[in-house]
Amino acid sequence: MPDLPLLAAVSQFLFREARLLDEQKWPEWLELYSDDAVFWVPATKMAGGYTSDPEYELNFIYIKGRVGIEARIFRLGTNSSMASTPPPRTRHLVTGVMIDEAGADHVRACASWQVVSFSEERGQQIRSGSYEYMLRREHQSFRIARKKILLLEHVIDGYFDVYMV
Amino acid sequence: MARGENHSALIDDRPDEGIFRIDRSIYNDPDILEAEYRSIFEGGWLFLCHDSIVPNPGDYFSTHMGRQPVFVVRREDGTLAAYLNACGHRGSILVRARSGNARSFSCPYHGFCFDTKGQCVSLPKQETGWPRDFDISRFDLRPIARIDSYRGLVFGSLTPDVPDLREHLGTAIPLIDIFVAPAPQPLEIVTGYSVYVTACNWKVMHENGPDAFHAPIVHNNFAAAVAYRERRSGASGLSKTDTGRLTARIKSANYDLGNGHTAFWHERPSPEAFPIYAQKDVLAQRFTPAELAWILGRGRHVTIFPNLLLNDLASTHLRVYRPLGVERMETIIWCIAPVGEAPEARAARLRKFEDFFLPSGMATPDDVAIAEGAQKASWAHASPWSVLSRGLAFAEEGPDDAARELGFAPRISGNSWDHEIAIRGVYRRWLKMMERGAERANA
Repeated sequence: MPDLPLLAAVSQFLFREARLLDEQKWPEWLELYSDDAVFWVPATKMAGGYTSDPEYELNFIYIKGRVGIEARIFRLGTNSSMASTPPPRTRHLVTGVMIDEAGADHVRACASWQVVSFSEERGQQIRSGSYEYMLRREHQSFRIARKKILLLEHVIDGYFDVYMV
Repeated sequence: MARGENHSALIDDRPDEGIFRIDRSIYNDPDILEAEYRSIFEGGWLFLCHDSIVPNPGDYFSTHMGRQPVFVVRREDGTLAAYLNACGHRGSILVRARSGNARSFSCPYHGFCFDTKGQCVSLPKQETGWPRDFDISRFDLRPIARIDSYRGLVFGSLTPDVPDLREHLGTAIPLIDIFVAPAPQPLEIVTGYSVYVTACNWKVMHENGPDAFHAPIVHNNFAAAVAYRERRSGASGLSKTDTGRLTARIKSANYDLGNGHTAFWHERPSPEAFPIYAQKDVLAQRFTPAELAWILGRGRHVTIFPNLLLNDLASTHLRVYRPLGVERMETIIWCIAPVGEAPEARAARLRKFEDFFLPSGMATPDDVAIAEGAQKASWAHASPWSVLSRGLAFAEEGPDDAARELGFAPRISGNSWDHEIAIRGVYRRWLKMMERGAERANA
């Protein structure tokens, strides 16, 4: 039997992240991440499957430290990025949340996601994949220490950024 | 003559009058794409892959030459071959994976089997369907007309009517040499790759590469975002990103290399931020001071017509283009690095590559958005001309001092990377190949 209160707390936390992204509340979203947070979207290998060693293999996104995630949001704020002005509207659907490990100071959880994004330029796009979270317990809630995102799509139609997956 | 056949009318090339412009219908006319398939993609050398993808016998890589599926394979004798990726029986796609290793290729449709020499070695139920003396070699795979490589870059041609590869690469060779050779070790594709599809004609993206004019404008936000990150995190050494090319006035140049190949370079304000810099003492033993200045001190960008881009600006990469339709194209991109480089250098190279170049980076998405916008505007037929006259008055025939130092002889040199010299060279070559293709078709 899963630890239902923990599952509910983790689910609420993940749903909150999704909502902050969809409402484009960037400072509040960034607050969910620890200073040393890792944001990782592996790339794919030609022989199939995902890259697995982020330091020495290619990634779609591999950011170590919240400042790097902030830089992505800073870029939106310049209003000079044609790909992100205005940022596509998104709806994050997060489901299938499961607790993989519950430690005294951390929780590992996974979930499935689908993001529908819309922009005038590229119309509606649907991406999907899975999340693996390493959450740090903090003040009755969590901070994201690590978020790994696997993307189903390996031929990328257009482009995407941290808030579109 | 139908619209789309008179190709010379699409390129208004009058340099003495200060005019060079192209008719934007070249981006959206289906007849032109059809002629490009025949004249360019099936009528000359195309880049296929890097040989580090297929190091061992049986290693294969499947790709396309224009619209034709092909695969490259390392044969048992160590040589490279490429075949049409169509079973010799009923033409089913034979190799479905992007890359892998196989000693033989079995067709998923009727089970015909081929070796790495393209020979049909077996077929199911031969004795009940064909005469006893039937020669199964008639099912052999069709090799492409030419395959050759230069310093690890593998090229192929669907027509035999092409010059030797070295002659085709021509003036680009010294620039390829310093791209390939700075480290004593050969280059390898770093594990992982990216494929992205853009809603634009392939030429829109092709001309975006040698166009340095856009960089400080389109990618100003990249420079600003990196500056923000480095200010907050206090980056130093290899973890620093040199964005000086986007924000400062720097020395630079731009070349029409001939044969549609292009190059530009810019001075690197912070050469120490690049992984290769750590090897400067080793390099000094092997290269002349002029070569060393090129390798360490200059960011370089080379395109090989019609489908390859070699980039040593923010990081080192290869990029290959192909049309998927008149208004759709595919890019395959790889990070490429010296075998056995120091772990911290490899990591820095990859992070800089991911930062800028991928469809999930902080710069390529803007190039894609710009290209897709240009594609939409190509339908503004009432204003058909795309003007590429920048730097015409400053262009000089032949090499400039920097080119002479490295020993290459461009057709035309210009003293700024943001001149449109390179792109004009691309379209002059495009027209030549289109005309040659039309002659061939009418012969």
